[in-house]
Order: sequence, then structure tokens, then C-alpha cells
Amino acid sequence: MSRPSPQAVWLAFLLSLIGALVLQLVELPDSLSAARPLWMPLMLAYWALREPQLPALVPAFLLGLMLDVLYAAPLGQHALGLVVVVYLVVRLRSFFIIFPLWQATVALVPAWVLYCFLMYWIDGATQHEAEVWLRWLPAISTTLFWPLLWSVMEMIRQPGGDDD
Amino acid sequence: MIRIAPCGRGLYAFGHFQAAPPDGTPLNSLHDSYHRPLFPRGPGLGLRTLLLMAVALTLIFYDMRGDSLKPARAWTAWSLTPVLWLASVPAQLVDMARGIDTRNSIEQQNAALKQQQFVLSAQLSKMEALAAENRRLRELLASSAQLGDQVLVAEIIAVNQDPYRHQITLNRGSRDGVYRGQALVDAYGIMGQIVDVAPNTCKALLVTDPDHGIPVEINRTGLQTIAVGLGDERGLRLPFLPSNADIKNGDLLVSSSLGGRFPAGYPVGKVYDVKPVAGEHFMEAYAYPAARLNQGRQALLVWNHSVETDADAAAAAETAADQDQPQPGAPAANKPPAPAPIAAPMSKPPTTPTRKPATAAAPTQTPAVAEPASRPDMKPTP
Repeated sequence: MSRPSPQAVWLAFLLSLIGALVLQLVELPDSLSAARPLWMPLMLAYWALREPQLPALVPAFLLGLMLDVLYAAPLGQHALGLVVVVYLVVRLRSFFIIFPLWQATVALVPAWVLYCFLMYWIDGATQHEAEVWLRWLPAISTTLFWPLLWSVMEMIRQPGGDDD
Repeated sequence: MIRIAPCGRGLYAFGHFQAAPPDGTPLNSLHDSYHRPLFPRGPGLGLRTLLLMAVALTLIFYDMRGDSLKPARAWTAWSLTPVLWLASVPAQLVDMARGIDTRNSIEQQNAALKQQQFVLSAQLSKMEALAAENRRLRELLASSAQLGDQVLVAEIIAVNQDPYRHQITLNRGSRDGVYRGQALVDAYGIMGQIVDVAPNTCKALLVTDPDHGIPVEINRTGLQTIAVGLGDERGLRLPFLPSNADIKNGDLLVSSSLGGRFPAGYPVGKVYDVKPVAGEHFMEAYAYPAARLNQGRQALLVWNHSVETDADAAAAAETAADQDQPQPGAPAANKPPAPAPIAAPMSKPPTTPTRKPATAAAPTQTPAVAEPASRPDMKPTP
């Protein structure tokens, strides 16, 4: 019943974001790496839905810059995508939060597709050609990982029961 | 107080309708930060998002236009080293698990390696004689061309996980004298070039990246052209070849010194397909890269002495200054900066052995010094 203290929430927030950053960088076999789920948008969307009082927008921007540096992408590319995704989720939170998990999974698909499109568009605008069709694979894998991430995060945060 | 004891949201909300407790204790059991403020202050969500998006777009614009953001990038990369290290742990574990071999296979491998080493050392001994002969002939010709390139072994510490960017991170940086545009080779050919230098690490763009182009020469005919990356595992594309160009399957592409980036003569790839472009007056050829880009953990950084960029000279002067500090009395401190780029990386252990005898002749590389030094040698010979 009792909610965790704000300090604990912040700690969990930062730790999980670092975890997502690491997951985003872990080496995968070549055949799977195109289908890597978008861990960063996933994690940020989870927090934006679950703890609306956290200011997720600025961390999203900063983490996007870190991702740009780590991926050697144009500085600001991932930052832009993450900010847009977080904005959408926060804006439509009242809409997402009433759904059961599987419906929320479907309802979030446009957000992932939008993120993929932004990455594709900026790559195109900065003359970095890439395979067109494989770019949309992460949207599918991210959708599949959403229920998993939600349940695992809930389990870690409230072992043995749900709050309010 | 007792009637608003926290025992569920319904009762809790009910508590709100009751009169507030006289002593002014808070009704809510929730912490303050969980309340949505009734009258929010500061810019709203939409405005903040717009602001951040504008900042991101400005950053993208400036990053594409110039190098002004390079230092920020380098320092962020440096501070994110622990994250990279953490991300490489699973791959290292997989490597360790794969490293467990049976004794039998190790013995077989050992025998094969011994045999290979025997053959190679025989070839090397012949090569040393040839190199010495070649050096003597070149000294006679007063040529400044070098035989053995100066190299530095670098470890590949990370691979870019964006499937559309073929980049690797190496454990050498500006402190080792690495400069932007430096060529990177492995035992089989050219791997790519350095695009980003941080103090301790550097990023290299592989030849198969769609952003990469390399001037090449077809070994059989000497035809000069450019090979650009395809962006997938298939390798390289040679666009805009004249339709009567003499090129066929199996031709070896070697690096050309045009453009001044790459040392000449290293293998780049092997042509596997030549086809005319429909409706155009030129042909296209496709080649597999010669370097084994997705195998191995080491790469060689090559110093290309024929053209040293300003950045290299600056970086080398910096390292030379670092090295001078322990022995300030050394006469090297008041030398002109010209030999510094040569002297600084020379002190690194993994240079090729053929360079050792040439140390004394190293300053002859700068043309100004080379002319007077070698002309007297030239005079008696004819």
C-alpha cells in the first residue's frame, strides 16, 4: 500500500535508464542487431506512464545526446526522437493508463513507429543512406518487449503485490 | 485523525469530505511530490518539448556543418567509458565460454601455427634481405619513400551497435599520436580510417560504411578509381567506371596514394561482380573487402609519412612535449618541431624492426634536410 519514497523512485529511475543504455549497447549477432528493441524509448515511456511526477523530458534529452555520442550519430538525433516519444506518452497518459496491458501494447505502436521514422528521416537528411525495410524491425520488437518490460519493472519495484 | 487512517482510496477520498482536523495535520498520506499541482508554474509540457526539439535540431545542424561540437563529443565519449565497459561484459563472457577448447583441438591448432610460423619466418628472412637491398638502392636514389610503415597495434574495444554504421572503437587515442584520417589495416588489407579521436580512444570508419570512400588502384591494370562502402556485409562498390574499363572478376584492388590519406599498396578488396548500369554509359563493379572486418580483436594503425596532416603534427608535438617533461635537459627539447612527428611515435615499442636502422636517417625525410644530406652521396656514384 505504501508508496516508495521519492528518493527511491529517483534512484530506480536513474538505475533503470543506465541499464537501458547498457542494453542498447550490448553486442548482438549481426542477424539480430537490426531487430534490437528500442530500450531507451521503452524505459522512458514506462516511467512517463508510471510516475508522471518525474520530469522525464530533460533526462530523455540528455540520454539522447549520450546515445548520439555512443552511436556516433549526428548530435541531437536520438535526443529529438526520445523527446518526441516522451512528450506523446505524457500527453496521452490518461488515454494509455486506462487500458489493460495488452491494449496499451497495441496503442503504443505508433510511438515506436514515429521514433523509427524520425531516426530514418534524420539519417536521410544527413546523407547517411541505409536499408529501408529493416529500419522498421525495431518497432515490432519493441512492441513485443513492452509487456515484458512493464511486468518485469512492476515485479522488481513492488515484489509481491501492487500498490494503489 | 483515526477516521482518515490510510486504509484504501475510497475511504481516503471519503475522508476529504469530512471536516479537516483542527490541528492542521495533512490529510494525505502521500508525499508532496506525488500531487499534481493545481496551478502549474513554469513553461508547460508542450513548450518545453518544443524548446528541446529546437535545441536538438540546432545541434544536428551544427554537427553536420562544422567541427565546433567535436570537443564536447570527445569529452562525453570519455565520460561514458564505464558504460561501454559494462556493455562489453556479456560479449567478453561469450568469448570466454567460446575460448574453452579441447586439448586435442589446441594441439592441432598449435601444430598448424608452428608450421605457418616456420614458413613465414623463412619468408621474412628473405624479405629482410630484400628490404635492406631496397633501402640501399633508395638511398642511392635519394628517395624519401619509406619501406616499412610505422605502425601501432590497437585493440578493438567496441563495435558500433547501430547496424547501419560500420564503426569500431579502438583503445588508442590522441595520447598515442593517433590523428583523424589515419589509416587502419589488419593482416589482410585496409580496414578503414580514423574519424574521431578522444584522449584515450578513437573511432574508425570501416571501408564498408556507406559514408566511406577510398581511392583504389586495380592491381592488374593500374586503373585508378574510388571504392565506396555498400553498407552491408557485401562490401564495396566501384561506381562510374568507363564502359570500356579493363576490369573483371577476381581483380585485386590495392590502395592508391591519391588523396594522401592511405599508404599505397595495401590490398583493399577483390572484385566479384562487374555489370553495366542500365541506361547509362558506365559500369559498376562490386568487391569484397580484403580485410577481415568482423573477425579478430586487433588492428594496426599506420602512420602515413608522405603526407602528415596538421592535426597529426599538433598531436605529435603534444605527445613529444609530454615525453620531454621527464628529461628536460635533453637536447631534443630545443629541436625544431619538424622531426617531432617522426620522433614521437618512434619511441613506441611495436614499431616494425626494419625501421630501427633507419632511425639515424629519419630527418632526411623532410625534403629541406634531405637535399644537402644526400647530394654528396649522389655525386661520386655516377
